Amino acid sequence: MSRPNYVEIVESIFHKTKHIKTSEFKYIGKKVVRWDAISKVAGRPIFTADLFNLVKNPVFVYSVRSKYAHARIKSIDTSDAERYPGVIRVFTSRDVPGINDIGYVIPDQPMLADRKVRYIGDTVALVVAESLENARDAGELISVDYEPLPVYLDPLQIVDFETLREKEHVLIHDERGTDILTRYRIRVGDVEKAFKEASVIVENVYSTPAQEHAYLEPEAALAIPEPDGSVTIYVKTQCPFDVRRAVSNVLGLPYHMIRVIAPALGGGFGGAEDVGNEVAAKSALVALALKRPAIIIHTREESTISHTKRHAMKAYYRHAAGRDGRLLGVEARIVLDTGAYASLGPFVAWRATVHSTGPYRVENARVDLVNVYTNKIPAGAFRGFGNPQVHFAVERQMDLLAEELGLDPVEFRLKNILRNGDRTVHGQLLDHGVGLEEAIKRAVELSNYYEKRKLYESMDGVVRRGIGVAVMYHGNSIGAEGADYSAVSIIINRDGSITFRSGTTDMGQGSIQSLLNIAGEVLGVPLSYFKVELPDTASVPDSGPTVASRVTVMTGNATLVAAYKLRQGLNALASEMLGCRSPDQVVIEAPRVYCIDKPEKYITWRELIEQAFWKGIPLQEYGYFRAPPAEWHDETGTGQPYFTYTFGAIVSEVEVDLETGITRVLGATTVYDIGRVINRVGAELHAIGGYVQGMGYALTEDTYYSPDGKLLNPSFSAYHIPTVLDIPGKINVDFVEAGFVRGPFGAKGLGEPSIVGIAPSIANAIAHALRQKRAKYGVNKIPVTPDFLYEVIKKYELKKQ
Amino acid sequence: MRGLHRVKMRVNGRDYELEVPGHERLLDTLRYRLGFTGVKEGCGRGECGTCIVLVNGEPRNSCLTLTARLDGAEVTTIEGIAPPGKLHAIQVAFIETAGVQCGFCTPGFIMVAKALLDRNIDPSEEEIRNWLTSVLCRCGSYHLYIDAVKKASEYLKKGVVFIDERDVREKLHLRVVG
Repeated sequence: MSRPNYVEIVESIFHKTKHIKTSEFKYIGKKVVRWDAISKVAGRPIFTADLFNLVKNPVFVYSVRSKYAHARIKSIDTSDAERYPGVIRVFTSRDVPGINDIGYVIPDQPMLADRKVRYIGDTVALVVAESLENARDAGELISVDYEPLPVYLDPLQIVDFETLREKEHVLIHDERGTDILTRYRIRVGDVEKAFKEASVIVENVYSTPAQEHAYLEPEAALAIPEPDGSVTIYVKTQCPFDVRRAVSNVLGLPYHMIRVIAPALGGGFGGAEDVGNEVAAKSALVALALKRPAIIIHTREESTISHTKRHAMKAYYRHAAGRDGRLLGVEARIVLDTGAYASLGPFVAWRATVHSTGPYRVENARVDLVNVYTNKIPAGAFRGFGNPQVHFAVERQMDLLAEELGLDPVEFRLKNILRNGDRTVHGQLLDHGVGLEEAIKRAVELSNYYEKRKLYESMDGVVRRGIGVAVMYHGNSIGAEGADYSAVSIIINRDGSITFRSGTTDMGQGSIQSLLNIAGEVLGVPLSYFKVELPDTASVPDSGPTVASRVTVMTGNATLVAAYKLRQGLNALASEMLGCRSPDQVVIEAPRVYCIDKPEKYITWRELIEQAFWKGIPLQEYGYFRAPPAEWHDETGTGQPYFTYTFGAIVSEVEVDLETGITRVLGATTVYDIGRVINRVGAELHAIGGYVQGMGYALTEDTYYSPDGKLLNPSFSAYHIPTVLDIPGKINVDFVEAGFVRGPFGAKGLGEPSIVGIAPSIANAIAHALRQKRAKYGVNKIPVTPDFLYEVIKKYELKKQ
Repeated sequence: MRGLHRVKMRVNGRDYELEVPGHERLLDTLRYRLGFTGVKEGCGRGECGTCIVLVNGEPRNSCLTLTARLDGAEVTTIEGIAPPGKLHAIQVAFIETAGVQCGFCTPGFIMVAKALLDRNIDPSEEEIRNWLTSVLCRCGSYHLYIDAVKKASEYLKKGVVFIDERDVREKLHLRVVG
């Protein structure tokens, strides 16, 4: 099969530009203020709930949620609620015209509970009223006859941690016949032999929490019935085209009868992937049934209960190393808690498995992972997607191994990391674009690592300091999870202004700016020429989901292709108008267009576009890019899971108070190899913002449940995200640009990678501060809360030393 | 506080006479009665700070403030900190330090920064942190917001309070077709 034209375009631009320094571009890698900055500082962006003002005669939809974490529903009596003042109608599962399911990957999640409830948060009925207060009050009157079942809050009640076999229990998903959602494995080389030949073996058990996204904008949806029987839905979502699919399923309508618009988003981090489907489908159901606009808005508590969390992990790891410090083998058993429903759990589990041995040369590996249902809030997508969990375990293991071998953690890593020409554990050849060694070296230098490592080791007293390193890698885009494509359209209007349309959402990450930088660079026009259209399924191309650190790479490539095609046509025309020697001699520096050897003789951009309009040169182009095919062999865990990887090295410094167990982060350095910096402002904000979010994951953030399965901390006063008082004075940020042949100008993604290595770098710094070898094994759990750390300090009698 | 209450309020320089139920939150008055949707609701419990506005110059969580109690008060939201067509120096500083990500918390931070700078035109970093701590940012822009307040302080010390939005746009090449 010949290579598609779009691959030729992306690769040829990479090769043409790979020797150009980033500083020599006009927009690529420059500090460009994001396109929506003025509007944002003025409080002008329209978030979904801001539209409610504009709606006449709406109804309000309130979700009545299960009071039991696991129970059979015998009957639901809605009659009292229906008689409540202001109530228009109550909807239960019987009122769903299509398929009553909102499962993202597999159909395991009823939108409105029918037979069973599986966590405190399942919706049993929708109360629709003239006001939100009335709907809420009436919701109290919905009477459900439950038959309670045993509640499972720990996946180890369901699987055995040694054998990973399912235990005898009352099935949560009896319709599936098992509560194991998915199993993945890696079987590479000869692990028995590796452990037999090892000089040092390190084993430990690790656990990581179910982190809450805590985006500040709670979910909201507004569905408007249209005269032709279709429905328009404004909804907080990262993925408007996925919303359309879900709503189509629930309503039994074809896609073209459902229009989804994603207004400004107040954060997503993966959490706004599937909850958007749910609130959109609920509001659309009501709007079409009652022929009135339907509004859903969540409180903070409803938001926390209704959207997914990061999968909690418990893992056993065993590593073998030789006397020379080479890693010989890895064995791991990993249990993920997917909560009540699958959500994106199958994909999260797969990504965790792929990355489960870290960015190292590993020739012998035996990894088993199970993803298990429990009666907790479902776990799904969260920045990093299974990878921060396994990196926490692997990077703690690396520090313990280094200590056992008497090596510095950096030296030990340098002996084992992936470099150009190496193969990943899955056998994938990394023939170019691996900048990890360079990243480590720069992080070490920027953080003054060696000097501080020595200095902190000499500190005594109850307040100690530590410095720790972690490295990471993260496969870009969705890989072997599914169809991996993106698309944009660029329209040059007759007045020379440009309309930019993509289906990717900007939830704050700023990747639309990356796309504008690419388009501006290729077309040769100022960024002020562009107007960005809102993602709207009725007008923008389907760019695939805004997930998996894929926008800059995948949508960036689609943008590159569309802009290149436009530029080709314009170059040919300009060359003719100006009498250049060939079309590639044309320079566009809008508003000027000239031949490279005669800059003084020019035409304007407006003149060129006007001519193109009359001569039929295409001024509207569609750009498409599909990722190179991924492959994965389930039996062995080998193949080419992702087309490229982002690499990074993080150094953290902490102060630990042995009297209180309180940890403060004093400083941090992050260096990521992202191939090429496209959007410097966005890249730096990711490095910093990912660090801050990772700090919360490392030190404070966890979800707690009562024994009967009720979430105990659905508020910011009980769930602690980092505040301005918690952050270190400075976070050093730098980038390595190792160049990836199928990225736009060589770029790779940074959205998720920026959180993957943070928690282990902080935990490694804490362990360093503790100094006692056994105690370091005790730092095997995040968040390292003061209570937990104080237990470790007490157990190993660290204060007495 | 049952029944309707008559409240005279000045919001963003304009006088309003309202009749509101006793339980109506200032947040809802501003967002839904008067249309100032730059005021955000992130938690409704005074924990996130995205709804902070100035009431008689004091930063207040509008989700915890009852409108009925504000007879005679002067309220300023993000929409009212600069005259039409202009941006406040604090807003310009937030643009120039380029820390804005999703933008949901940004109005809250800017209102707190204004209250601080109105009291002390040259605050220390510690003071800035202590004031900004009343707002949460999940995108993790805190470092840049601290820098933005410092930069705003520089503008204000030079006597620069308002800047033409058009000038800011042109300087930053933002979305103006040339």
